[in-house]
Amino acid sequence: MTDLQWARISNDAFNVALFAYLAAMVGYFAHLAFKRDVIWQVSRAVAVVGVVANLVSIVARGLAADRVPWGNMYEYSSLLALLVVIGALVVVEGVYGVRSLTGFALMFSVLTMAVAVSFLYVGPGPLVPALNSYWIKIHVQAAIWGSSLFALGGIATMAYLVVDRVERRKLEALGSRTPPPIMGGALDLGATGDAPADLVPDTAEDVETRPPRRRLVPSAAVLDRLAYRIIALAFPIWTFAVIAGAIWAQEAWGRYWGWDPKETWSFITWVVFAGYLHARATSGWKGRRAAVIALVGFVSLLVTYYAVNLWIVGLHSYAK
Amino acid sequence: MGTVSAPQRLTLRQSVALVWRTLRSMRTALILLLLIALASVAGSLLPQWPNSPERVLQYRADHEIWGTFFERAGLFDVFGSWWFVLLTALLFVSLVACLVPRTRALWRTLRTPPMQAREIDAFPLYAEASVAAGPDQAIESARRVLRRRGYRVARDPARPALAAEKGSAREVGSLGFHWALILLLAGVIYGKGTGFSGLIAVVEGQTWVDAEANYDGTIRAGRFFSGEFTGIGLRLRDFGSDFLRTGQPMDFVSRVDLLDPDGSPIRREEIRVNHPAKVEGLWIYQSSFGWAPVIEVAAGGEVVASGPIVMDRDPPPEGVPEFAMPWRGVVKLPGGGSGGLDRAVELELWPDSRALTALLGGGEPQAMLVEFDPIIRFTVWEGALGDLSTNRLDTTGLEEGASGIVGAGRTADLSDGGALAAGDRGSGATISFPELRQYSVFQVGRDAGVPLVLAAAILILVGLLPALYSSRRKVWVRADPDGDGAVLRVGGLAMQRKPQFEEEFDRLIRALASAAGGTPTPEPRPVEGMPGEPEPGEPEKVQTP
Ligand code: HEM
Repeated sequence: MTDLQWARISNDAFNVALFAYLAAMVGYFAHLAFKRDVIWQVSRAVAVVGVVANLVSIVARGLAADRVPWGNMYEYSSLLALLVVIGALVVVEGVYGVRSLTGFALMFSVLTMAVAVSFLYVGPGPLVPALNSYWIKIHVQAAIWGSSLFALGGIATMAYLVVDRVERRKLEALGSRTPPPIMGGALDLGATGDAPADLVPDTAEDVETRPPRRRLVPSAAVLDRLAYRIIALAFPIWTFAVIAGAIWAQEAWGRYWGWDPKETWSFITWVVFAGYLHARATSGWKGRRAAVIALVGFVSLLVTYYAVNLWIVGLHSYAK
Repeated sequence: MGTVSAPQRLTLRQSVALVWRTLRSMRTALILLLLIALASVAGSLLPQWPNSPERVLQYRADHEIWGTFFERAGLFDVFGSWWFVLLTALLFVSLVACLVPRTRALWRTLRTPPMQAREIDAFPLYAEASVAAGPDQAIESARRVLRRRGYRVARDPARPALAAEKGSAREVGSLGFHWALILLLAGVIYGKGTGFSGLIAVVEGQTWVDAEANYDGTIRAGRFFSGEFTGIGLRLRDFGSDFLRTGQPMDFVSRVDLLDPDGSPIRREEIRVNHPAKVEGLWIYQSSFGWAPVIEVAAGGEVVASGPIVMDRDPPPEGVPEFAMPWRGVVKLPGGGSGGLDRAVELELWPDSRALTALLGGGEPQAMLVEFDPIIRFTVWEGALGDLSTNRLDTTGLEEGASGIVGAGRTADLSDGGALAAGDRGSGATISFPELRQYSVFQVGRDAGVPLVLAAAILILVGLLPALYSSRRKVWVRADPDGDGAVLRVGGLAMQRKPQFEEEFDRLIRALASAAGGTPTPEPRPVEGMPGEPEPGEPEKVQTP
């Protein structure tokens, strides 16, 4: 096949993926609303179709351009969307058995891809010389893997903050009638079928050890820990990405660090998430405060990813 | 900390202790980290002197009051400002203050054997197993099983019992990681402090020598730079570039000879983007490139100026590609004009003359990516030249003379701008353009801290993994006599990742029992969150008092 045909295939598959994600997202939200397993199964299948199309689009793009398919913002976005959905399906649903976040992950990917086709599209073409190094290939991969996990961590954190608030409200409402649960009082949350132990922060951590429960939205404690796990997974990958970037900068520009906006923002993201990890070990900063730091990290990630390339001038800007 | 009573003044010792305690606390580290992040935000949003001085000047011109304020506050050079350095210094002092006691504690833990426990069944995980072996034998086999699984094991001297521990990798990794941050800083300071970097432009066929004067004042040196240069030579044999039709550069390469100070060749290199040359601790990078026409000016048959002129371009106006801009340069001839005045010839090079033709014909600006019938438009100026060192001409107060065009391999008359045939000396003052060459700009620098920084970066990664993913686990085993055999009582405790440990514990019991010839009767017990115990994935110790 010719380059042009591959490019066509890539673009078509991209659109298929985008619409599959969109449909799957609607499905997952419907599942949240109606709690029917069959909706979940269908949505999941549609999401998998999206993943396959996304993958096809990326591979075809590489064949069209005759190089690795992660050389500009459009291509990064496609890869990021793919990894976020895979992460949601494999890590969040698969490993941790939490289904309620996948819809939000799909929403993130849909937005990423929509922005990519509308504003960032460029045809497949060769790389500028500065980007033509194997360190950049490694660096970009690590950065996108780290970003996708941070994004999932950010989604879990937001969910945690929302659920935590709801739980607190419920506790307050019940607090006047029943003894506080920490004192061992029984707590009936009625229709939601929530187990009281879940509301007791100190024992919430063992939820995983119990038989899986038919709860769609997990407790705040579970979400908090899920967010932590994902961010703890992302952090070393991001660290590696920054280091690989520095090695590349040393090769390409003669300095491993120069406070270029892209470098500065990836450093900010790194420092903020390091702050999050410390906050979780600091009394008085656990829980909601730490979660807010993680959210700041998420915003910082978005700035690193979009704002720097699109609005802030720097050496990296030709990568867009 | 609250013990200091108000009226009493702190002694020096007390205040030092207070500062030290504050710095040791995790909260201080956290706040410092967030402050550094905040400062960096400012550094990325405002233009910075080291990265883009033109934009700082522009900003200051546009925003008079804020510009002055930001300048005073160091916000145009955040990463070099005293307060950023102070924040970083505080963070690192805090880091050391954390690390010293933690390292000591780790050292102690690693050297003391695991503590024996009396009430084994009081631990969160507990199981029993009847085994065929006698108590001593059973404990011996348990010791082997645990050792094989990477536990540190201590036998109880008084009883058939043991205590075992695993997972100090977490603290070792965490400490390694944090110390590596200090190593990183040391590497950065050492490298930047003793290093330098500068820009050099070398024309094809010319040789450049590493000496201070040859950097044209572009050197940026560290505070502790020795001021010594290698005398290494670099001869640019030729330069090649490759473009797409869009003007996107594909590749540029400088083919160079590296020379010893005595001029003998060391080796040939191809320097390209992403492929610097390294010689004697110098790193030489491809930076940019341009055109350098060889120009000869003659007066009365004698050559008064000759050589390649390194040219540059004006920034392109909106919508015009950079490569569509002509290249500019000047030949300055002090005393070369009429009546003892200075003379200067301003040059405008069109490496691809088709672009000029097209432009003059009312066409679009065209990118000039290759050499094609290059031509130079020139204008003669006379008057007092002033500064001779710059390659730009300030024409105020100068009188404009003739102007004309000279093509590659041609000669033109400087008094009327007219073209001359070969051998024709015209009015006596002539300009010739024998050939067009390219020059290549290299960034040359030295940073002896790079290996240290790289080592630190690797250590950071290597330390981070166990610090985040491993967990500390403790196991106690006691064997009580039971008929011919024994009953193994096993207790377990994990500081992090409790659910995983529960599964591991199950497997461990089975291994312990089968090693001593028996079957386990595990008592399923949920992991209990003990008051004050950290959640999984969290460090067990908090430094805050
Ligand atoms: C240079 C900035 C720093 C960075 C990037 C950094 C990063 C980290 C990271 C990624 C962790 C792992 C968190 C975890 O195990 O969940 C950690 C743990 C920790 N850090 Fe830092 N840190 C920094 C400075 C400090 C300072 C100044 C202190 C002292 C106050 C400190 C004390 C600790 C402690 C006590 C832990 C817990 C270790 C454990 O038990 O696992 N850190 N740090």
